[in-house]
Amino acid sequence: MPSALAPLPDDIPNVRIACTVNGEPVVREAPVDCTLLSFLRDIVGLTGTKGACLEGECGSCTVLVDGTPVTSCLMLAAQVAERNVTTIEGLSDGNALDVLQDKFIETGAAQCGYCTPGLIMAARALLDEHPNIEESDLLTALEGNICRCTGYASILEAVRRAHRELVP
Amino acid sequence: MNPRATQAEPGVAAPRVDPAADPIPPADHLVGQSCRRIDGLEKVTGVAMYGADLFPHAADLFAKVVRSEHAHADVLAIDKSGALAVAGVLGVYTHADISGTNLHGLIRRDHPVLADKRVRYRGDAIAVVVAESERGALAARDRVKVAYHALPVVATMEQALVPGAPKLYPEGNVMGDKRIRRGDVDAALASAHAVVTDVFHTQTVDHAFLDVEAGTGIWDGQMLTLNTPGQWVHEERRLIALALGIGVEQVRIIQPATGGAFGGREDISIQIYLGLAALKHPGKTIALRYDRAESMRARHKRHALKIEYTLAADRAGTLTAARIIVHSDEGAYASTGIAVMRKAASHATGPYRVPSVEVDVYGVHTNNNPTGAMRGFGACQMAIAYEGMMDRLADALRMDRLELRRRNLIQPGDPVTTGQRVDNATVTECLDRAVARFNEKPYPGNAGLPPHLRRGWGMSAICFGLGYGDGFPDCSRARVELNDDGTATVYTGGVEVGQGLLNTVLQIAGEELGLPLERMRVVAADTELTDESGSSSATRQTYFTGNAVRIAASELREQLLDIAGKHLRVHPHEVTLQQGWAFETARDANRVSLARLHQEGLARGYSLKASALFKPRTVTEIRETGQSPRAFITYLFGAHVSQVLVDIETGEVKVERHIAAHDVGKAINPQAVEGQIVGGVAQGLGMALMEEVVYKDCRIMNAGFTDYIIPTIKDLPPVEAIIIEHDDPGGPFGAQGVGEPPLIGAVPAILSAIYDATGVAPHTLPVNPERMWQLLQVREGRPTAVA
Repeated sequence: MPSALAPLPDDIPNVRIACTVNGEPVVREAPVDCTLLSFLRDIVGLTGTKGACLEGECGSCTVLVDGTPVTSCLMLAAQVAERNVTTIEGLSDGNALDVLQDKFIETGAAQCGYCTPGLIMAARALLDEHPNIEESDLLTALEGNICRCTGYASILEAVRRAHRELVP
Repeated sequence: MNPRATQAEPGVAAPRVDPAADPIPPADHLVGQSCRRIDGLEKVTGVAMYGADLFPHAADLFAKVVRSEHAHADVLAIDKSGALAVAGVLGVYTHADISGTNLHGLIRRDHPVLADKRVRYRGDAIAVVVAESERGALAARDRVKVAYHALPVVATMEQALVPGAPKLYPEGNVMGDKRIRRGDVDAALASAHAVVTDVFHTQTVDHAFLDVEAGTGIWDGQMLTLNTPGQWVHEERRLIALALGIGVEQVRIIQPATGGAFGGREDISIQIYLGLAALKHPGKTIALRYDRAESMRARHKRHALKIEYTLAADRAGTLTAARIIVHSDEGAYASTGIAVMRKAASHATGPYRVPSVEVDVYGVHTNNNPTGAMRGFGACQMAIAYEGMMDRLADALRMDRLELRRRNLIQPGDPVTTGQRVDNATVTECLDRAVARFNEKPYPGNAGLPPHLRRGWGMSAICFGLGYGDGFPDCSRARVELNDDGTATVYTGGVEVGQGLLNTVLQIAGEELGLPLERMRVVAADTELTDESGSSSATRQTYFTGNAVRIAASELREQLLDIAGKHLRVHPHEVTLQQGWAFETARDANRVSLARLHQEGLARGYSLKASALFKPRTVTEIRETGQSPRAFITYLFGAHVSQVLVDIETGEVKVERHIAAHDVGKAINPQAVEGQIVGGVAQGLGMALMEEVVYKDCRIMNAGFTDYIIPTIKDLPPVEAIIIEHDDPGGPFGAQGVGEPPLIGAVPAILSAIYDATGVAPHTLPVNPERMWQLLQVREGRPTAVA
């Protein structure tokens, strides 16, 4: 038996969390220790955001909170109360793809696709915040997102193309 | 099932000859096109459903696995009471609850699903708990009390082989061996002009696919249905049925979207625990997911190899002999270890002509995690050794590294390690192309560098036998059907794990049928709906399933040509299939849509569907000599050039430039091929410089991405992929495959560059800053504090 036992289900009280997710008001009960990642996926049911390392190293779970990218596996759901969360599901407005989504398809940047939502959200925040970023700085900005399949070349190319399209 | 969207078809009621008809658009010629991935849209929008994404939508109950806290122990008793007392816990199941063999294993059925008596590594499964909530299952998992009698632990191969060592199995700790004997090595060594010897240690590597094991299962009293990611759904079905004691036909596996595999999904994992839990709770959908730590602690790993290598040449630099002894850490269970040992042996001298060869590979059990399939499968470790030896030999001979390689690379018709003569040996061209690309830019050397930095470049040339080889039955099946709307559906048991198989099969079928990608769909990796296509491994799916799809599609094509010939009143040979139309080749106004052909075909008694089996034979290697005229169905070749910068004060190695040239036969989808090449280089870079599963007394000390370091976008240089295409006469449209060779080529090229930069030849992986720094200290004769 491990020395630190997982808590019993009844030991963790629920809290009521009211926030905005992809422009829609969301009110849900969640355990106080629920991460934002688990809240979005398991409670709200938005499974586009992926969990992979669950310790803030890989960036797969990146979402935007009030426009700022966060690793949702390290943030408690309660911390987004009254704030705006944007996930991959909120990126394309029904019909049209976000330019990043389009470029990711175009360059073949989604292979297994598991890192893709997090990378697109991270890149989206980057291009929103720093539209005039130098291409050389893209590497630093995307360093927090791990991809195990592509070797990153197609991802970098997708972000470059989106950047060029946004900032001609 | 992976239904894919289809779009509007040409009019069903089109007149037979319409002089005013629009010309039929030109053919797409899908083979050779970088078509967009058909699963791209769902992946970039977050719609794709991976195993864990099924949880909020489908889970009734949650399962967790109780795992051994001991590396080697007898299990004396399992006390479920604490777990059963947790609110919402419905069951705790042990080996006593399993009515089948309770054993799994891809080659030997040696691994208990749930430990019956003994545990052999930390991570061995002991019990499965089922609860109404995942949190309840977790709490219960931690409250199952297992009483152990600890046994002496075998932590390393050296410990395992000491006389009197504790035995993992009654027959001892040597799992098996494999040998190659060719020529007279003793005589060749005695008369050699130069003989070099070194010992290489490759490390334990984790697949680290991002999508940790997760899925669901339900037993409805008739059928156990599992939505789980694997690499070979039909084999998983067999293993689950036998282990759990139900009929094979009572198991259905449906592969969800899958986030990478790299060999890490070959051994069975969650499927079998989900199956057990589902059988105990009929009608309930059970969900099970690991977290990263459990994924890393439970799963098999890449084999760590100790390779003792002696290589000899004559005065001119022609190789004369190699003597190679390999010890392979097999961990606690067989997994695919025997096959990895064979692949290591059969690739021991790589793409070089070596007249006299002795190879002895020994698989050694330890209480570490089982080791099994991972991209490269034994061949990648051997490439590190043979390419490292070529550099050492070049130094010993005072010969140019490139010249030494070019002198000894196999040419068409030359034999490789197994004695198999390889007709398509294009490795010299690969190497020349890679070096030529490197030389296109001036090499800066050390000019202008600060004194603590050293630049170097290196190369590798590699080969890879495609498929299982060695006489192991290896086949793919496929079915292609024309639908009533003129679209076609391809059915394949092959598993898409990110590599792009779905596009490959559709592009091949579309090329045969003259159908654009949008007018085809694919159903893949569902054991009820598709026929077995073997594993997505061994770089085999393009070649094997690609061939099966091509044969089936061409059979369907023949039906369509016959029907169209009758309809158009021309000979079938005068009919062209293009863009969803069948038309008279010389007069495209004489045309009929495939939708109409479907109606007419049915009326004329045609099936409008076709199945195919592709099952080429390989020849089992002779036990005593390891020789075979056809050990593998075909060989792949590649060559890399890498340029590195080494900080001799910190030991840090930065790859500045990397070129990878691979002969893939024919690139069905060049963008996908390039993705495999660049991605393989990235994993190779990780293996060369950073990745290592660290054990301490058989406990994994870095079971997470904080401490298990994977290359990021900043670690990768621009990788220049060179796709070389020489049609393989046996491949679909000449295609071979590309999955594994890029990783195999990357590691030795980086090590070769480090040697060139520093004058120190690495022999232990990974060459992380600490090891690099140590090597440099040793060379300088300085004491090093680190052992």
